[in-house]
Amino acid sequence: MNRHADGKQARTQGPLRLGSRTFQSGQPLIMAIVNRTPDSFFRPGSTWEDAAAMEQVAGAVAEGADIIDIGGVPAKPGMPVDVAEEIRRTVPIVAAVRGAYPDVVISVDTWRHEVAHEACVAGANLINDTWGGWDGRVAEVAAKNNAALLCAHAGGQEPRTRPFRVAYPDVMADVLSRTLDLAERAVAAGVDPSRILIDPAHDFGKNTWQSLEVTRRLAEMTATGWPVLVSLSRKDFVGETLGLPPEDRLAGTLATTAVCAWLGARVFRVHDVPETRQVLHMVSAIRGDAPPARTIRGLV
Amino acid sequence: MVITACLCPWPPILVRDLTGRDPVIPGLRQACRTAVRRLVDAQPELIVVAGPAESTRTWDQASRLDPGVFAPALSSDDDRLQSDGRRDPALPPSLGLGALLLDEAGYSGPRILQAVADDEPVDACSRLGSALSDRTTRTGMLVMGDGSARRDPRAPGHLHPQAAAFDAATERAMRRGDLRALLDVPPALARELMATGRPVWQVLAGAMLPQVPAADILYAGAPFGVGYIVAFLQVAMFTG
Repeated sequence: MNRHADGKQARTQGPLRLGSRTFQSGQPLIMAIVNRTPDSFFRPGSTWEDAAAMEQVAGAVAEGADIIDIGGVPAKPGMPVDVAEEIRRTVPIVAAVRGAYPDVVISVDTWRHEVAHEACVAGANLINDTWGGWDGRVAEVAAKNNAALLCAHAGGQEPRTRPFRVAYPDVMADVLSRTLDLAERAVAAGVDPSRILIDPAHDFGKNTWQSLEVTRRLAEMTATGWPVLVSLSRKDFVGETLGLPPEDRLAGTLATTAVCAWLGARVFRVHDVPETRQVLHMVSAIRGDAPPARTIRGLV
Repeated sequence: MVITACLCPWPPILVRDLTGRDPVIPGLRQACRTAVRRLVDAQPELIVVAGPAESTRTWDQASRLDPGVFAPALSSDDDRLQSDGRRDPALPPSLGLGALLLDEAGYSGPRILQAVADDEPVDACSRLGSALSDRTTRTGMLVMGDGSARRDPRAPGHLHPQAAAFDAATERAMRRGDLRALLDVPPALARELMATGRPVWQVLAGAMLPQVPAADILYAGAPFGVGYIVAFLQVAMFTG
């Protein structure tokens, strides 16, 4: 067992278990975003109505999404959403998706342990806590429900706040320190180690420069052996890099996706499933992790 | 004694390299340059840079902002600078930006980098200001602080209904040279409104009172939901 410079043990990339499924390294996964909010930053309100949400889920499953991610609270500040309202927005849909698709992996996008628990009881398999363990009881809920847990870096920022002049002497060191600490605490709380992921959480507690840096240095996260999830889709760091609004950020998102896939990320949280699947297939083939679809040119 | 002062905000975007290809806010940078130029042209024997930080203490006058703490791509292995300063990633950014403004204005005289804790009580701020002024040295102050960061829904702190009125009151006080009014700014409200300037405005008040300086406001606005104010204050000098 080798160790990182800070003494933490390295692990080799092993299988990732989500629900009843097991995914090997070299098999990148797509998590499709289904926002149960009227005011998300991209396509606001498009899946607010139940029927629209189920239609989006059907489309994502047909397009090959491995995980359906259901969230009820936008990341930005705004209209308050309390625990009861968040449960109302997410748990019935989790149950409906579980009923319609017995084998699909479902994740719940929440930082709150109460919401996470109800969603797991309704059939969610993964707690997508992008605010980095703000609620200290989420790991315990994951363990109790034998659910997977995302350990993300948000720089200690309170949920639904914007970064304000956030400075890091070494942002990557801070990302590693916080996410690995969360992962170790999750194991100590009884979460199955094969059900833990880490995430640098682009834009959370980070400005665009810092998000670009954690992308550039993502290999330091994948080298830890924990499966790495990235959530890049149409985010502001893409928009500020290219000078483009959310509806025009697909190409920038896919470029970043390719870089992260090359550097070994395993799960990709996205709005655009088919395009992402193509990027991941291409990178897998370049990396030698998967064969091309059909090769005859020069071979006949 | 403190004979002249200028107030500047300290958003990291004051550093041109930090805004990428787009200059974003050249007008604010120019206003800060103009104010600091006037400060330096008053020929103080010493300049005190006061800026909010985690704790109240002074920093080595050679300390400089390391832009890498905001933009890792701008880090450099060479931490020496032309100004004989040294980049220090631990230096509070408010002081780092103040030191940068002085360097850009060509100031090479003695300086004090005075960090003031965000939660320093009013009395302590005022006493710190008096102590800074309690000498015969002709002293200038560069006071780095902002108004509310909650001026609109897209602001870092989202919208707070009291933010605009708070900033307007501060601006009025500064225009009139009414430093006593700055001592009345409640720390709890300033914290709720994310107004970083409260403790250092109160240090300034302690340093200049009972004088009523003449004031020029060179910039007052909130283009990104954070209240920026650039001002130059000069005490009337009597010649014997």
